[in-house]
Amino acid sequence: MIKATNVYKTFKTPDHREVKALVDFSTDIKKGEVVVIIGPSGSGKSTFLRCLNRLEEIDSGDVIIDGVNINDKKVNINKIREEIGMVFQLFNLFPHKTVLQNVTLPQMVVRNRSKNEASEVARGLLKKVGILEKENGYPSQLSGGQQQRVAIARALAMHPKIMLFDEATSALDPEMIGEVLDVMKNLAREGMTMVVVTHEMGFAREVSDRVVFMDEGKIVEEGTAEHFFTNPTHERTKLFLSQIL
Amino acid sequence: MTFTKRSIITLVILTIIVGSAYYFFTQKGITYIWHWEKIPEMIFYHGAKSADDPAIRLRMGVLMMGFMLTLKISVASIFFAVIIGTIVGIARLSNEPVTRGLSLAYVELIRNTPLLVQIYIIYFFVGTMLRLSAFAAGTAALAIFAGAYVGEIVRGGIQSIHKGQMEASRSLGMSYAKAMRYIILPQAFKRIIPPLAGQFISLVKDSSLVSVIALADLTFQAIQGVARSYHAFEIYFTVAFLYLVMTFTLSMATQYIERRLAISD
Repeated sequence: MIKATNVYKTFKTPDHREVKALVDFSTDIKKGEVVVIIGPSGSGKSTFLRCLNRLEEIDSGDVIIDGVNINDKKVNINKIREEIGMVFQLFNLFPHKTVLQNVTLPQMVVRNRSKNEASEVARGLLKKVGILEKENGYPSQLSGGQQQRVAIARALAMHPKIMLFDEATSALDPEMIGEVLDVMKNLAREGMTMVVVTHEMGFAREVSDRVVFMDEGKIVEEGTAEHFFTNPTHERTKLFLSQIL
Repeated sequence: MTFTKRSIITLVILTIIVGSAYYFFTQKGITYIWHWEKIPEMIFYHGAKSADDPAIRLRMGVLMMGFMLTLKISVASIFFAVIIGTIVGIARLSNEPVTRGLSLAYVELIRNTPLLVQIYIIYFFVGTMLRLSAFAAGTAALAIFAGAYVGEIVRGGIQSIHKGQMEASRSLGMSYAKAMRYIILPQAFKRIIPPLAGQFISLVKDSSLVSVIALADLTFQAIQGVARSYHAFEIYFTVAFLYLVMTFTLSMATQYIERRLAISD
């Protein structure tokens, strides 16, 4: 479903230094697979995620999603993005819209659904993430965990085939992490294809099909969660795991 | 509200200033006989206009006619200034160098030349070529002038919106234009209401400059009225008050809109 081959991505810092975010990065993600990407900060995890919906343009290599090379000039990237939901660390809800409108507006604007149809989809999803009672509130009136659940509902409302999670729980207070992870776990069990950048090892252990450990823009080690947490082979992986566990 | 020592000092100073102004006016200055009774008929009067229009009825006086024209030209140029400013504000942030360069050139050119000169150029040069009426030329000059400032305000407003808003919109499949229209601009406009209100108020006041191209606005009528009647003091005080009515209403209206939009904060 997602195939990245030999992807390179370099950032220029304001003082003209070059930072290699992805170096000859290749991976293959199957339909329904839940892949967790871990690694130290600056290792390129988020960059990789953002290259999957072209929020970042890659320097070279190929990213093929559902058989389409998304960096092809002829591709309408908006059409591709409709199929790929993304959840951000800072939620990025639309502050001038109510909770319900946050979920309905993209459907109406992008999928051309009627207001009634969009509201129906939205209410179903808000109920699913357990926040329907706040549908008329504004994002500023919600806690972080509630906002993130709305953000997940907003992405799901587009009926994406793939969901990307960019440190979705990193900005949350500890007591709210659980409620967001529960939503993500349910989604994983329903068979959604998910790429999850996270520091939540519990989540990786419980629902991931594969764990990818990245450092300096490359995959250092990958395997099942089982392999990863009981029997890591690389020194760098062992060091990282010893630091966070 | 509590009065402090500072409020007393302020009041004393204010009294001294007003008192001395009154003293100089009455003792040292000219002897002036006020004719405020001439002012109401310049605003509304009951009677015939001319031999061609002899009907006796309530009519607008010259100052009221000027007031209406100033109001019309202000509303029209604010409308176009917002359209120009929105386009320029977005163009200033374009990734495409020609669009960005042109919009910057427009802003710099307009902000760095006097409005009065721009009015002359648009009226005499552009207006003559395109056969524009004085009203159209005046409106165009004001809108183009204010558009440059509004453009910078809009640009600042857009830049103040967290880039996560654009990323979230794009990640949902919205085009750049849709994200701007539904997500970025509504938030930016809410944020720029205070500087925008200031700009609109400036525009109403700057509209007095169109009197130089023989547009019968409030200031033009005042100059004419003074020339006819010599009641300079009364007329200019009245005119100042009439401008104040417009600008203060504008202030109040924007504050009301600001409060209404604050519900999502």
